[in-house]
Formats: sequence, C-alpha cells, structure tokens
Amino acid sequence: MRVLSTTKFTMLRLVRNYIGLLLLLIVPIVMLTIFSLILSGMTNEEGNPYFNETALTMVLTFQLFGGSSVMHYLNYDLFTLNRERMFVAPFNRTMYALSIMIFGSIFSVLLGIVLMIYSQYVLGMVWNNWAWTIYLITLMSVLSSIVCVIFTCVVKKFKLAGRLSEIYGVGFVMLAGLFFPMPQNAVFDFLGSYGNPLTLSIGAVRAGGNGNWAEAWLQANIVLAAIVTLFLVMIVVGRKRLK
Amino acid sequence: MTIFYFTLKRSFGSLTNLIFLTLAPIACIFFPAGEAWPALPYGYQYFGIIILFVAIRLTQIIIEDRARGVIKRLSVAPIRYFHYLSQNLFAYFVILILQCAIVIVGGLLRGQELYQPFALFTLYLSFSFTALAIALAWISIFRNKDIAFLVYMSLIFLMVLMGGIMMPLEMFPDLMKRIAVILPTFWFAEGLNWVVYGRQTSNFMLINGVLWLYTLVFLVLGSTRKMQ
Amino acid sequence: MKSYMEPARFVNGWRLLNLGFLTYYWISGEFAAYDFILLLFLILLTSLRWRFNLPAWSVALDAFVCFLYFPYHAVSYYGLALPIFELAQRGKWLFALLFFIGLFVAPFPSAWLFCYFVLALFVGFFSYAYSLNQQQYKEEADEQRKARYELERVKIDLLAAQQSVAQQAELMERYRMARQLHDHLGHDLTGAALALQAHEYVEEPDEAHKLLQEVKRRLKRSTLNLRETVHNATPIAPIGVENLEYVALYFQQVSISFRKSGDLLRVAAYHWGLLEACLKEALTNIARHSDATKAEVKVEAAGSIIRLLVQDNGTVRQSQQPGSGLRSLKMRARSLGGSLSVSGDNGFLLVCVLPLREEE
Repeated sequence: MRVLSTTKFTMLRLVRNYIGLLLLLIVPIVMLTIFSLILSGMTNEEGNPYFNETALTMVLTFQLFGGSSVMHYLNYDLFTLNRERMFVAPFNRTMYALSIMIFGSIFSVLLGIVLMIYSQYVLGMVWNNWAWTIYLITLMSVLSSIVCVIFTCVVKKFKLAGRLSEIYGVGFVMLAGLFFPMPQNAVFDFLGSYGNPLTLSIGAVRAGGNGNWAEAWLQANIVLAAIVTLFLVMIVVGRKRLK
Repeated sequence: MTIFYFTLKRSFGSLTNLIFLTLAPIACIFFPAGEAWPALPYGYQYFGIIILFVAIRLTQIIIEDRARGVIKRLSVAPIRYFHYLSQNLFAYFVILILQCAIVIVGGLLRGQELYQPFALFTLYLSFSFTALAIALAWISIFRNKDIAFLVYMSLIFLMVLMGGIMMPLEMFPDLMKRIAVILPTFWFAEGLNWVVYGRQTSNFMLINGVLWLYTLVFLVLGSTRKMQ
Repeated sequence: MKSYMEPARFVNGWRLLNLGFLTYYWISGEFAAYDFILLLFLILLTSLRWRFNLPAWSVALDAFVCFLYFPYHAVSYYGLALPIFELAQRGKWLFALLFFIGLFVAPFPSAWLFCYFVLALFVGFFSYAYSLNQQQYKEEADEQRKARYELERVKIDLLAAQQSVAQQAELMERYRMARQLHDHLGHDLTGAALALQAHEYVEEPDEAHKLLQEVKRRLKRSTLNLRETVHNATPIAPIGVENLEYVALYFQQVSISFRKSGDLLRVAAYHWGLLEACLKEALTNIARHSDATKAEVKVEAAGSIIRLLVQDNGTVRQSQQPGSGLRSLKMRARSLGGSLSVSGDNGFLLVCVLPLREEE
C-alpha cells in the first residue's frame, strides 16, 4: 500500500495548482456572482428564482472540466516527465493512476461543494437537497475523470488529448442547448436529453427537487451506467498503455 | 514583408490552427436564428466571441517568439521591433478580415437575415482590431502562453457575459448596465443592435470610433517590447 | 541597487488611480453611455504618457477634450485633475494653477472639486520633488562610485610601483656589492696571483721570500676586506623567512608551530613583504576574533610557487564578510599574480599562494 503515502502529495499538488483553482473555482464564483446580480428578483413560471437553475447548471457544468488536472498529472507522472522515476519506484502504477483519478475527482467534488456553499450562504439561494446534488456532482466529476483518462490513454499526442477533453466539456454544454437552441432532429434531440450527462444530471437534480424520484433515479442511473461502461473501457485501454 | 508572409505561414502551419481558423467562421454561418433574442442569427451574435478567441490564438506567435528568444535575436538583427510588430499585426488583420468576409458572404449566400451586411462587416472589422489589440496587451503581461490563454479564456467569458453579447443588456440591473459600458464588448453589442434597429449613421460611426479608441489604447499598452 | 518605489511607478500609480476614480464617478453618476468616450480619450492620452515621454504642452489635449465635455457632464471637470497633475509633475505647477478656473465655471458646488484639484497638484508637485531628489542622489552616487574606482586604480598603481622599487633596490644592492668586490678585493687578489706567478720565476731566495710575504699580506687584506664586505652586506634586522619565524615566535596569545620547507632563498623581498603582512593579519585576526588555542604556520616553496598557510583550531562564526585588511591583502596578492583565500570550514584557514619569478 505504498500508493497511499503518495495521496497526501497528490492532494497538495491539486491544492497548489493555482491556475486550475483560478479556472475551476474563482471563475465560477465570479460568474455565479454576476449571474446572481443579473438575475436577482427574476422568477420562472413556477415561481422559483431563475438564478437557482443557472447556479445548478453552472456547478454541474464546471464538473465537466474537472478531469483536466487528473489528465495532466497522469501525463506528467506516467507518460512524460516522471515516467522513468515511476517505473523504478516499487509500487503498482495502475493503483497509482487510480489514486490520482480518485483524488482528482474528490477534489473536483469539493470545489463543487464550495460553489454550493458559496451560492447558498453568500448569494442567498437555497439548494433543496444537498445530498442528492452532491451525489450528482460526484457522478459528473468521476465521469469527467474517466473520460479524460481514456483520452490520455488512447491519443498519443497529449496536446490533442487536452483539446479533446475541452471539446468534451464545451461540446456537451453546447449540445445541452445552453448557448443557443440546437436544431430539431433525432440526433440532436438525443444528445440534448438522454445522451448528455449534463442534461441528465441537471434533470436528475430538478426531478429530485420536484419529488419525482423515479425519474430522478432513472436519469442518475443512466449516468452511472455510462460511468461503469467507460470505466471498463478505461481499464482495457489503460492497461494497454501502461504496459 | 518577409515577417508578414512568414507570420501568415506560421498561422496556418499547424493543423489545429488551420481547423480553428477556418472551421470556426464556417460553423458560424450555420448556427440557427434565435426566437425573441438575439435579432441576428446566433452565429452572428456570437461571432464576436470567436473573434476574441481567434485574436488570442493568433497572438500566441508573439508570446512563443518571446519564450524562444526570437525577440532577443531580432533586437540584434537589422530590423526594428516596430516592423516586427506591425507586420505581425498586419498578418493577423489579414486573417481576421478574411474570416469576417467568409462569415458575411457565407451568410448572404445561405440567406441568413443580416439586415445591413456592409455595416455588420465594418463592425466585425473594427471589433477584430480591438480584439487583437486587447490580446496583444494581454500577452505582454504573461510569460507562459498556456496560462495566458487559459486566463484570457475566463476573461473573455466574463467580458462577453457582462458586455451584453450573451444576454440582452435590458435584463441587467442598472449598476451592471453602467459597468458594461466600460467593456469593449458592450460597444460591439451596441453595434449589433444598430445593425438591426439603427437609423442614424452617426451613431454607428461613433460606435466604431469607440472601438478604434480601445484599439489605440491597447495597442499603446501592448506594444512595449518585452525581452523576458 | 534595488529600489522598490521608483518615481515613475509612483507617477503611473497616481495616473491609474485618477482614471479609476473618474471611471468610478462615471459609473456611479447618471451619464449617457456615449459620454464614456471622454474617459476613453483620457485613458488613451494617459497610456501614451505611460509609454512615451510626451511634451508638457500635450496636456492641452486633455484640457481641450475635457472642455468639450463641460456642458455634458461633471466628470469632465474632475478630468482636469489629470493635466494639473501632469504639469505639476513636470515642475510647471504655476501653469497648473490655470486649470483651477474650472472651479468657477462648474455648474455644481465645487468644494470637492477644489479638494481634488489641490490633491492632484500636491501629488504632482511631490512626485516632481521626488524625482528631482532621486536624480540628485543618483548623480552623487555616480560621483562616489567614480571616486572609488579611481582610488582602486591608484592602489593598483602603487602596488606595482612598490614591486618595481623592490626590484630596483635589489639590483642596486647587487651592483654596489659587485663594485665593492671589484674595487677592494679584486685588486689585491689579482696582485697576489701575479706575485705568485712571479714567484715561480724568481731564483733568489730573498726575493722569493719577499714576494711570498707580499702575497700573504695581500691575501690577509683581501680576507679582511671580504669579511668586511660580507659583514656590511648582511642586514642586522631579520629578513625573509627569519622575519616570519620571528613574528610567529613572539606571538603570545596562542602557541604557534612554525614549519618551513623548500628553497626559500628564491623568494624575492617583495614576496616576503606580502607574506609577512598576511601572517600578521591572520595572527591579529586569531587574537581578536577567534577562540583558538593552537595555530599552525607553514611556509613552503615548491616548484614555481611559494605558499603560506595559517590554520587555527578555533570555531569560526559564519557569514562574516572579509574585513578590509583581508580584502586589501587579496588585492595585493592578485597584483603579484597570486591568490589569497580564506576558509572557515574547519577552524580559520588562510592560504596565500604567490608565483616565483623564474631566474633570469
């Protein structure tokens, strides 16, 4: 269990990655603040503040990008910068990769929780069901980590893998129709609803808030299924690459 | 003009750049039109964001030169920094002009409702210059091009959000409306509004004039020679 | 020399603050969006000033733009603070007073405006005085630096002169000895040799005896002369390595073991002078700063170098800058083509190495 002794340093690295913190914590906080200023006092048809929707979307959207630090560390440690050192170190590299992934996800979840706390206690919005929202945040962050690891392992050029992960993030935001409405056809409809982790998790939280738990579990479980499938893919691809 | 041609070649050199520089404007043409807002099709409303991204992407060449020490070598070459900078900027301008032209002509061919295409083209050009100047000033602060790009990305989002390109300004509270005026993106959004609803040409000239003023300010700020 | 607050930074900081205030005032007031152009103009002019050294008359542009906006909004009146500051910062504060006219035409109560103008004037004047002072200090520092360099050069010249004087003295002494040997000893010895040669050919015993007596007298006289010359040439004060030994011997504070090896006669007088100074400096340092009980002094001439080593068993306080004594010794050692190094790793250690001149 030598890998355990590295976890502290993985965490330290994550905390000291100031650019990452700027992009995944400060920017969302600023954007949440701006949105809360813009949308203050506006309500939708059901009488809920408009900002609640936006905050939920923002918190979940930034989880799409949470895997990028995992990706960078994996690339540095196992494929480029520290590769030789890791290969002579007496521990299980697969477990190490897994620990980086787990801690990256946990860190991303923590950032999400910080955003929730900020929006509740500073901006004054009310999250209906903390546990359920955090569960969905966790699913999103794990999914993002897995997708990023797959990109890192499949694509030889790391730069391209980085671009792909950005496309994954921005692409699903666009497909969810957050920037502008997507064209109406079967493919886009699917990718804007049940084929899109972002819409699924937003839908799950929303359904949970409305008390529609069957729908909520269904949507959350689709994401979970995607995670399990991609996890298997990741193991296959990752083993090949780590050899 | 060697630097000019070379900059053009370098800009289109890498595959990612090529895709980014050509596909982005073409994609814009095919974006759908909005319902109540914006009055222009989404692609044309958001083209400002793309211009901002393209500008920082293009100016990466300068920051790369700085990191590699090319600027240091240029200072002993029989060429002035002014020439280097102006030819680089000129090459970027040419690329941006091409992109704007592609977007406008493509939109006209596809039959998008552009109201006053020529005014729109002028506005895009003015804003391109502003975006380039801002990017130039921005990269003069940074040493690492990735960090410069990432931080600028978040800055673009904030600028675009607060300037009224992504959301109509009418929704904003009063204070936010006033703060928005400071941002160049506000004037771009204003210009877009004029293209749709505008009557007086003088207003449009004024909007472009403001964008040019921004360009001058940021050019002055960004034209300092940084050796690193 | 690192300075944390250059006048230029101060000036730019104030400009930025000014623009920040104007922008804030613009945001908080009820002004039209197009009036922001005034601020943009002011920002442009200020950034030009940041980048280039605009002449003083360029404030007329600021003032003119502000004047154009007088009828439209109050920010333009506050904008006059910029030209006031720029003029004051260039030492033309009398002209800056002209802009105070803005106070009387302002269509609103102008107490705060007055306050703001006075502040701008004061800060401008302050930074003017600040930069003037800095300029003066810089010039003074430059002069002092120049004087110090000149002194160092004089010192080097002196050292070189000392070396050449020592050489000259040695040559003159040699010449004197040669002359003395030639004048007194030479004649007698030659005479004796001639007398001995003549003795071979003389047949009369009386004559031969007289000649032998003459030779004997002459040889006796030359022996006496030789002894006198040598005695005269030998200095009474200890010189060379003896002097070093003498210094070490009479050093009271710590017990010193002195060792010497090699052909020390090859060492020139000016080398001994430096080595003696080094030894004295080292011993003085030991006496003054060290808690040592024992010290070891070694003088070795090997190959083409002479080496002096002083080592004690005390503990050395780290991070001590070498004193002026050691510094000047280092300099002198360098001027003789050698080196002097000091280390405090294991007791105090001083090593001075000088190259020996090849025999000419």
